[in-house]
Amino acid sequence: MDSALIPKGARRCPFPVFATGIAVVSVVLLWGVFAMVLCWLKGLNQTNMNDYYGFALWIWADLAVIAIGGGAFFTGLLKYVFGIDELKNIINLAVVIGFICYSSALLILAIDIGQPLRGWFIFWHANVHSMLTEVAFCLSLYFSVLTIEFIPLILENRQLDKVPFFHNLSHNMHGVMAVFAATGAFLSCFHQGSLGGVAGVLYGRPFAYREGLLVWPWTFFLFTWSAAAYGPCFTLTVCKMFEGITRKKLVKDNVIHLLAKISGWMITTYIIAKIIDTIYWAGVTAPEMGFSLMDFYSDNAFYGIWILFAEIVLGGIVPAVFLTVKRFRENKKLLLVAIILGTLGVCLNRWVMVLQVMAVPVMSFDTWALYIPSWQEVATTILPVAYGVILISLAYRYLPMFPQEQELYDSK
Amino acid sequence: MTQDNHGKAHKYGMVIDLDKCTGCGSCMVACMSENNVPFKENETDKKDSITWMKVFKLTNGKPFPDIDTCYLPRPCMHCGGKGDHGHSPCISVCPATATDYGYDTGIVSQIYTRCFGCRYCMGACPYHARYFNWWDPKWPDGMEEYLSPDVSPRMRGVVEKCSFCYHRYQEARDRAYHEERRDHIEEGEYQTACTQACPAGAITFGDLNNPEHEVYKLVKPDPHNCGRPREPKAFRLLERLQTNPKVYYISEREWVRKAGDNYRKGEWGKEIKVSHGKGH
Amino acid sequence: MKIDRRSFLGLGLGAAAGVAASPVTWKLTDDLSIWTQNWPWTPVPRDGEVTYDDTVCSLCPGNCGISVRKIAGRAVKIEGRSGYPVNDGGVCLHGISALQYLYDPSRVQAPMVRKGDSWKTVTWEEAITLVAEKTKTLRESGKADAVACITDNNRGTISGLCKRFLMAVGSQNFYTMDTMDKSWEMLISKIHGLNASAGFDIANSDYVLSFGTGFIEGWGSPVSNFIANSSRKERHAKLVQVEYRLSSTAAAADQWIPAKPGTEADLALAICSVMINDNLYDKGCVKKFGKEFDVFAKLVTEKYAPELVTRTTGIDASKIRSIAADFAKAKAPLAIAGRGKGDSAGSLMEFAAVHALNCLSGNINKKGGFWTIAKDEPLTWPSLEMDDVATKGYAKATIGENSSVSKLFEAVNSSENGSPVEMLMVCNANPCYNLHNAKGVQEAVKKIPFVVNISSYMDDTANLADVILPAHMFLEMSQDLYTSSGTTQRVTSLSKPIASPIFDTKHPGEAVIMIAKALEGSIASSFPWETYDECLESVTGEMWSTLSEEGFIDSGSQASEVSAMDFSLFASFKGFTMPEGDKKNYPLTLVQVDHMRLASGTFASSPFAVKTVSDSILKDSDSLVEINPETADQVGVSDGDIAFIETPVGKARVKVNLFDGIMPGVIAMTEGLGHFAGDNHYIGGKGVNVNELIGPVTDPDSGLDAAWGIRARLSRA
Ligand SMILES: Nc1nc2c(c(=O)[nH]1)N[C@H]1C(S)=C(S)[C@@H](COP(=O)(O)OP(=O)(O)OC[C@H]3O[C@@H](n4cnc5c(=O)[nH]c(N)nc54)[C@H](O)[C@@H]3O)O[C@H]1N2
Ligand SMILES: Nc1nc2c(c(=O)[nH]1)N[C@H]1C(S)=C(S)[C@@H](COP(=O)(O)OP(=O)(O)OC[C@H]3O[C@@H](n4cnc5c(=O)[nH]c(N)nc54)[C@H](O)[C@@H]3O)O[C@H]1N2
Ligand code: SF4
Ligand code: SF4
Ligand code: SF4
Ligand code: SF4
Ligand code: SF4
Ligand SMILES: [Mo]
Repeated sequence: MDSALIPKGARRCPFPVFATGIAVVSVVLLWGVFAMVLCWLKGLNQTNMNDYYGFALWIWADLAVIAIGGGAFFTGLLKYVFGIDELKNIINLAVVIGFICYSSALLILAIDIGQPLRGWFIFWHANVHSMLTEVAFCLSLYFSVLTIEFIPLILENRQLDKVPFFHNLSHNMHGVMAVFAATGAFLSCFHQGSLGGVAGVLYGRPFAYREGLLVWPWTFFLFTWSAAAYGPCFTLTVCKMFEGITRKKLVKDNVIHLLAKISGWMITTYIIAKIIDTIYWAGVTAPEMGFSLMDFYSDNAFYGIWILFAEIVLGGIVPAVFLTVKRFRENKKLLLVAIILGTLGVCLNRWVMVLQVMAVPVMSFDTWALYIPSWQEVATTILPVAYGVILISLAYRYLPMFPQEQELYDSK
Repeated sequence: MTQDNHGKAHKYGMVIDLDKCTGCGSCMVACMSENNVPFKENETDKKDSITWMKVFKLTNGKPFPDIDTCYLPRPCMHCGGKGDHGHSPCISVCPATATDYGYDTGIVSQIYTRCFGCRYCMGACPYHARYFNWWDPKWPDGMEEYLSPDVSPRMRGVVEKCSFCYHRYQEARDRAYHEERRDHIEEGEYQTACTQACPAGAITFGDLNNPEHEVYKLVKPDPHNCGRPREPKAFRLLERLQTNPKVYYISEREWVRKAGDNYRKGEWGKEIKVSHGKGH
Repeated sequence: MKIDRRSFLGLGLGAAAGVAASPVTWKLTDDLSIWTQNWPWTPVPRDGEVTYDDTVCSLCPGNCGISVRKIAGRAVKIEGRSGYPVNDGGVCLHGISALQYLYDPSRVQAPMVRKGDSWKTVTWEEAITLVAEKTKTLRESGKADAVACITDNNRGTISGLCKRFLMAVGSQNFYTMDTMDKSWEMLISKIHGLNASAGFDIANSDYVLSFGTGFIEGWGSPVSNFIANSSRKERHAKLVQVEYRLSSTAAAADQWIPAKPGTEADLALAICSVMINDNLYDKGCVKKFGKEFDVFAKLVTEKYAPELVTRTTGIDASKIRSIAADFAKAKAPLAIAGRGKGDSAGSLMEFAAVHALNCLSGNINKKGGFWTIAKDEPLTWPSLEMDDVATKGYAKATIGENSSVSKLFEAVNSSENGSPVEMLMVCNANPCYNLHNAKGVQEAVKKIPFVVNISSYMDDTANLADVILPAHMFLEMSQDLYTSSGTTQRVTSLSKPIASPIFDTKHPGEAVIMIAKALEGSIASSFPWETYDECLESVTGEMWSTLSEEGFIDSGSQASEVSAMDFSLFASFKGFTMPEGDKKNYPLTLVQVDHMRLASGTFASSPFAVKTVSDSILKDSDSLVEINPETADQVGVSDGDIAFIETPVGKARVKVNLFDGIMPGVIAMTEGLGHFAGDNHYIGGKGVNVNELIGPVTDPDSGLDAAWGIRARLSRA
C-alpha cells in the first residue's frame, strides 16, 4: 500500500500491521496531548508539584532524554570530527534519536513553564548569569543543528529523492555536515553542561551544590561527560530493540562493539571523575555547609543510600567493566545488560540531581519533601515516549536509517 | 548608584526577636492584606499556600516535659548572595531577569509580568520564601473591593514573594524627593506592614548601613564580613551557605540559635569559619 | 494556474517563510504575552486618594484602636492605631482581617424569614411586624416571661437596649455569655466584699505566676498582653506558667510547671502553705484586713504541704518551695488565673486559691499587682415604663438558674410539656456554637417556637432561627465599647462607621428600637429615640462630647479600696470541678485549647486567619488532636492516623497529631473550628467544634458552667 515510500529493497511489515501499531501508540499520545492541553488551559495546578517541589517528574524526563539523546552529538563528533568512519552505519539512528529527544525536551519545557506564552522572555530578557539561559540558547540552537542533520536523511526517502532539488540539497548538506556536527558537538557540550550547571550552581542547596572551574561547577563537566558516555548506550539499546522487534540484524557487530567500547571507556573515565567529585563533595563541600553525607540519605521513605550505590556501582562501574573488557562486551547478553544499566544509570543520575535536590531539607527544621506525580504529569511524561516511538517507527519504515540493512540481509 | 552593597547605599534589613514573638500570626495577615495575597478554600496544604511571611514552629526535639518550642517568622531574606555582591541564590538563576537586586536598597525584587514561571528561583531558595501561583487568584464576589492599588494582584503561573513592602519604600522615597531631602528617608518613614502590625514588637526594620537605625544597633552587622552579626545573641538562617540574608534573628535560647543552621556532630560551639568567596 | 504537487509544496514553504519573517508573527507573539499580563479575570484595583479613618475593633473584648486605610473612600487595609492606649499600633490578625468580614458576600444581606426548610427574603417592615406580633401574642396570653434574650456581653448600649426591651416586655430572662470576668467579680465580692472587676497589672509586674492563662494566646485584651509580654525582656520580669501543655504562653515563659490538669488549685495552695510556714507573706496586710486567716493557715499547712501535693500535682516539693520563694521575693508578684475561653467561667475555688497568693503577697491595688477596679454603670438611661403585663412577668424567676445561659438551654431540653422559652432573641452571640454541648443547645433552639437572631452572619445560631434581622458589622456602625478584660486600664471608646452599609442591614440597636416602637404603648414609650445614634448620644451623657471628639476616654486604673480579706471562704469550698465521665470507659482527658490564630469566642475566623492555621491543627476538613507519643503508643495510634474521639457527650472523626508538649494521658483539641458559615466555604465546615464533645459542668461554688475538659477515649478509625 505504501510500498512506494519504503526504501528500495527493504523489507517492512505489511501496512495494516504497521498502522495498527501506530494507532495503538497514538492513543497513548492523545492521552498525553489531552493532559498537555489541560496544563496549558488550566495551569500547573494540574500537577502535584508544589512550592517545595517546583521541579517534577517531567523535568527529570527532560534531563534524562537529553542525556540519553547525547548519543547524537557524541557519535557525530566521533564520525565527523574524529573521522571514525564505521560509525556512519549507526549515525542516522543516533541523529533520529537525538532529534526526538531534543524536540521532546523543548516540548516538555513548553508545558512545564507557568506562562508558556511568555516563554520567549528567556531570550528577550536573557540573564547571562543564569544556567537556564545557557540551556535555553544552546538547546534551541542545537535543536536547529539536529534538524539540519536530520533533513538529509528525510530527503533520502525514495519519493523525495526523486525531486532533483531535494536530491541535490541532500547531497550538498552531507558535504558540509562536518561543520554542523562540530557546531553541534560544541553547542551540545555547553547545554549538556549547563544542565549540569543548573543544579551545581544552587549554593542554597547543599545536596546539589558543587565547586568548580571559573563560572562552571563540576556538575557542568560531569553532565557533558556522562551524556557523551551514556548516550551511545541508549543508541545501542534502541538499535538492539529494533533488531529484536524486527528480528533482523541491522548494524554490523564491529560497529556495535566499537561504539560500545568507546562508551565503555568514556563511562570508566566519567565514573572515576564522579567518584572523586562525590568524595570531595561529601568530604569537603557539604561539611562546610554543615552537612554529613548521611544527612542526605536518611530520615525519609525513599532516598536511601541505595540510590548512591545504584548510581555509581550498578549504573557506572558495572557497565564500565562490561563494556571495556572485550570478552564481556562481545558476549551478547552482557552487552545488553551493560547498555541497559548504563542508560538507567544516567537517568538515575539526572533524577538525583533534580528531584532529590528538591526533596532534601535544608533548614534544620525543614522536613523531607516527597511528592507523587499526578496522572497529568505521568501522561505528559509518557507523551514524548509515544511521540518518539511513532517518529522512529516512521523513520525506520520510510527512511534508509540503517545503511547496512540491505547488505546484512543479503548475506544471511 | 554603587554596584556593591558596601557603599553609602541603603541596605534595608529586618531583625526579629524570637523571644518576643508569640506566633500570633499578625505579621502573616498584615502582609497578606497589604500585598493582595490571594487565598483558597482549602489552605491546609502548606506546600502550596502562599504566605510571603510564614511563621515556622521549631521544637528542641526533647520529650515531655523538657520540650521547648519557638516561633520563627520567615519573610524573604533579601539575600546579598556570596560576598554580598547582590547575586542572591534566586537572582543569579532567573533566566529572564524577572527578579533583581536593588543596589540602592538591597531589596530583591520580583517582576510578575516578566516572570514566565520556570520556578528555577524556587529551587534555588533554601528558605522556601518563593511561592508559585498554581491557581488563578480568585476573590469571593465583592471582596476585590479591599484590594490595594499599590501592589498589583498576580496572575496564575508566576512566582511571588515578600518584597519588603517595596511600594512603601517608593512612597517614602517619593516623599523625600518631593520635600527635597534627596534620598534621605527617616527610619520611621519606611516600615514594612509586618513590622508595623506585630503586636509584640518583635520585628524591627531599617537600614543596616545606618548606625543610627535600631536594626544596626540590635545586631551590629560586620561590614567586613558580609554583614555577619557581631552581637552574640543574633544569628542569620543558614549563615554557612553564604546567602548573606538581610533578616537577622535574636534569641537568648541556645537551641534556637543552633537551629538556625546545620552543624555536624561536635561542631556547635566551636568557631566556624564561613569563607566569603566570590561565588559564581 | 494549475497547482501541482511541487508548486503547492513550494508555495506552502514560501508562505510559511514569509509569515515567519513578516512582523505579524512577532507582533502576535508579543500581543499574546501582553495579554497574559492583563488577563481580564485578574482584578486591577482602582487607584485614588489615600485617607485614613480611625475607629475601634470590636471583634473581641480587647477593643483595639484601628486605622482604616481608604483609597478614594474604599476601605482597603486595617492597621493598628499608634498611640492608642490599648494597643499602641499593634493589632491582631483578626482585627487586620476585618475587611474580609465587611465585604463577605455570604453575609445575611436582607431580613429573612424561615419557610420550612428554606429562607424567604422579606422587607424590614414585614420582619419587624412579625417579631412584634409574636411578642404581643405572648404578652396577651400572660407569657411575657417566656421571652428570653441572649447577648454576648453585659456592657454598652446594644446589650443595654436588649435588656431594656426585655424589662419593658416583662421578662427577667436576659442572659449574657459567661466569661472569666464573671467569676472574678463573684470572687472579689466574696473575698473583699466589693462590687468590682478584676484587673491584672501584668505590664508592671516583675513576677507573673500564671495558672494556665493563655495570656499571649488571646487572654483578656490580647494585644495589650502581647505588649506587656514583650516588655518583660527589657524589664527582666519573669513569667512562670502552670499548665499541662506547652502552649505558646508556656513556651514563652521563663519557667514551665506542668502540673496535672485540675490540680492547679492544689498547687496554688501548696505555694501558700510554704509562704505561710516560712513567713514569706505580707503580715502587715494580712493582719490589717484578714478575717479568719488562722483557719486558712491551718488548712493549707495541714492539707497542702508541698510533700502532700507532690503526688496530686506531679510537681516536686523542692520546685514548689522555690516558686514560693521566688514569688515572695519578687517586688511586684502577681498570680493570675482564667480559663476564660477554656470554659467560659473558671472554677471559683481555683480562682480563690490563686487569688490567695495575691492576698498573701499583699500586692493588691499596687503597681504590678492585682487590682479591684470600681464597677460603675457608665450609661444613664431614662426611666423605664412597665405596664401591668410587664410588671407581672418581670416578677417571675429566670428560667435558667443563676442567670446561667447553659441552664437556660438545659431547662428547655428537660421540659416535657413544650419549651418554657417561647421566643428567643439572640443578638451578637452564637450560643449554638459557643456553649458546651453545642449539639444539645442546637436541639433546644430547635424546640423553641420562635427564634429571632440579630446577626450579620449565617452562623450556627442564625441557621436555626425563624427570623434573621441582618445587622451591620462593626465597621458600618457606631457603638460604645469598654476595654476591661484582663488589664487594670479601663478605656471607653466610640467606634465609628468607616463604611456605609453594603447590604440591607441595620444597626442591632436600631433593630431593637424598631421592634419596641412596633409594640406601641409602654414599650414604645420606653424607647423615646428616633434612631440608635440618638440613643447613643443621649445615654452616654457627659462622656459623649469627649467620645465624639477624641474617640476614647482613658480612665486609667481606678481601684476600689480593699478593706477586707475574708479567708473564711476557703473552709467552705465545695470543691473543684472535675471533668465529666468515668475513668474506666474513658481513660483519657480531653481539653480544649486556644490558639491565637483561630477566633474561638468571637466570630468564625476570617479566610486570612484560617489560612495561617498550621496543618497540625487543621488538615483538609479534619481537626487534629494533640496527643503525647507515649499515650499514642498505648492507644495504638500513630501520627497522621484518622481516629475517632468519643466522650460522654459526643463522638467525632479527628486526625492524630503527636506532640511532645502535651502531658501523657491528656488530649488537646483546638477551639474555633467546625463552624457553620452558610455559603462561606473559606471558613465554614472545617474541622470539629470541640464544644460538641464537652458538656457543661456546674461549678458547685459559683453555679456557673465551669467545665474545662471531659473524659474521653480515642480509637483508630
Ligand atoms: N485569638 C483570639 N483571642 C481572643 C478571643 C478569641 O476568640 N480569639 N476571645 C477573647 C475572649 S472573648 C476572651 S474571654 C479571652 C479568653 O482568653 P483565655 O482566658 O486566655 O482563654 P483560653 O486561652 O481558652 O484559656 C487559657 C488557658 O487555660 C488553660 N486551661 C484549661 N483548663 C485549665 C484548668 O483547668 N486550669 C488551668 N489553670 N488552666 C486551664 C488552657 O490550656 C489555656 O492555655 O480571649 C480573648 N481573645
Ligand atoms: N464552650 C465554650 N463556651 C464559650 C467560650 C469557650 O471558649 N468555650 N468562650 C466564652 C467567651 S470567653 C465568650 S466572650 C463567649 C462569646 O460568645 P458569643 O458572644 O456567642 O460569641 P461570638 O461567636 O462572638 O458571637 C457573636 C456573633 O454575633 C454576630 N456579630 C458579630 N459582630 C457583629 C456585629 O458587629 N454586629 C452584629 N449585629 N452582629 C455581630 C456574629 O454573627 C457572631 O457570630 O463565649 C463563651 N462561651
Ligand atoms: S506578628 Fe510578631 S509576634 Fe506575631 S507572629 Fe509575627 S513576629 Fe511573631
Ligand atoms: S530568601 Fe530566597 S527568595 Fe529571598 S533573596 Fe534569598 S534566595 Fe532569594
Ligand atoms: S520563575 Fe520567574 S522569577 Fe523565577 S526564575 Fe523563573 S522566570 Fe525567574
Ligand atoms: S516586609 Fe512586607 S512583604 Fe515582606 S513579609 Fe513583611 S509585610 Fe510581607
Ligand atoms: S485583639 Fe481583639 S480588639 Fe484587638 S484587633 Fe484583635 S480582635 Fe480586634
Ligand atoms: Mo470572652
